[in-house]
Amino acid sequence: MSADPYSDEVRELFNEPRHAGRLDDGISVREDAQGVRVELSAIAGGGLLTALGFRVWGCPHLIAAAEAVCARFEGREARELEGFRTAQIMEILAIPVEKTGRILVLEDAVRSLGQAVRGRSDEA
Amino acid sequence: MKDVVYLDYAATTPVDPRVAELLRTLNDPDGNFANPSAVHIAGRRAAAIVESATAEIARMLNCDPRGLVYTSGATESDNLAIAGAARFRAHRGRHLITMPTEHKAVVDTFKALEREGFDVTWLTPESNGLLDITRLEDAIRDDTQLVSIMHVNNETGMIQDIARIGAICRDRDALFHVDAAQSAGKLPIDLANLPVDLLSLTAHKMYGPKGIGALYIADRPGCHVEPLLFGGGQQRRIRPGTLPVPLIAAFGLAASLARAQMAEDERHVAALGDRLWRGIRGVDGVTLNGDEQHRWPGILNVSIHDVEGESLMLALEPVCVATGSACNSQNQEPSYVLRALGRDDLLAQSAIRFSFGRMTTVEDIATAVEAYRAGVKRLRRLAPERAA
Repeated sequence: MSADPYSDEVRELFNEPRHAGRLDDGISVREDAQGVRVELSAIAGGGLLTALGFRVWGCPHLIAAAEAVCARFEGREARELEGFRTAQIMEILAIPVEKTGRILVLEDAVRSLGQAVRGRSDEA
Repeated sequence: MKDVVYLDYAATTPVDPRVAELLRTLNDPDGNFANPSAVHIAGRRAAAIVESATAEIARMLNCDPRGLVYTSGATESDNLAIAGAARFRAHRGRHLITMPTEHKAVVDTFKALEREGFDVTWLTPESNGLLDITRLEDAIRDDTQLVSIMHVNNETGMIQDIARIGAICRDRDALFHVDAAQSAGKLPIDLANLPVDLLSLTAHKMYGPKGIGALYIADRPGCHVEPLLFGGGQQRRIRPGTLPVPLIAAFGLAASLARAQMAEDERHVAALGDRLWRGIRGVDGVTLNGDEQHRWPGILNVSIHDVEGESLMLALEPVCVATGSACNSQNQEPSYVLRALGRDDLLAQSAIRFSFGRMTTVEDIATAVEAYRAGVKRLRRLAPERAA
């Protein structure tokens, strides 16, 4: 028997991602692992993330999670990125445990983005 | 299901309304629900229904109705044919031949026989999925007892040359089993003139109900199967159990309709398949799994470069398609059939199987084409470029 593998939240975020795309004038990071590709970009100012964008090659759960992450951090302090953990987002979106590996690639990308933003701020 | 576009006929077809009506009538408390083995008048009436339905299925296959044994479906038929024949002939030899691109019901039965000590040769297909006949000629041995090759592949629609394969088996005195789950009722099968010893079919892939299938067993010396089930004398003890009369009657009607409409169905499916393929073949990076010459047109399996299959399947909704065989749809592993055809993991993972039939409309195909093109475009826009 096949239960619906996607929660309503995943379907909504997958079908209408508001943060899809690359912010060309922002800071970008990329992770390629577990057979997926995740690219995150951010525009930051005064320690705040003013805009976030993502591009993903992967399954619907990963696309939805990337969108959820962007929505969650937009307007928040950039330093929060480095403490990001996937567990909460997996629970909210009801992502099956077998997708953990792919979602961890997103976690790595979020943390890398946090470091990159911090690095840029330190330079400034 | 008016709110979806159903293009997963290879997994199961809708029930023809005429068949559904017959089922409803027979399942009515006033219908003929009796046990056909009973000698009373209700039992005799039920037996007559079974006899009439069996004659219809035999007409569709041009075979002796006494050669048909009812099962729960093609999975059971495959198990009974392969395990039953291998065990029946084990005293003669223990070598068996099949292909890794068969349905799981065949593949897993052969794997179980390997664990019993049988020696199985797995013939790898050519890149289009077809069997190179010379490989079979080289592999078949004096102790080969059974060869099992499917007629139409459930993932790619590729049609094997069962007449040539069967002729080789006859020549070498090996039994030949054909899984015809995808072809029965759709392609002409003339068992009176085909060198086929065992043939599996199921009603639910030819507009009949789920839960009923059959195994044809040729009346030839050395062609027999050991039963898998015990407990009654029905069906010459080959497959005991009370016969499900309404399901058998529905199967018979589905076979009768399939025979009467075969040419019309085939024209319809070919036109739809052509329209679908013309609609998506121009999408950059699309690859046909199989080839255009030897494929049953009701199954179109395509891969696409640089698009993730699971996301593409969701993007296609409400068009219902498969990413692999239905049995594998919960499994994220790339299709073993497409891997056997030499597709790499990424390409196999991007595969979409469209399958359609009698009730599919031109509008359904147009919707699918539009959804596929739009889905690919959207997912490509969403994805970062491949690393150099």
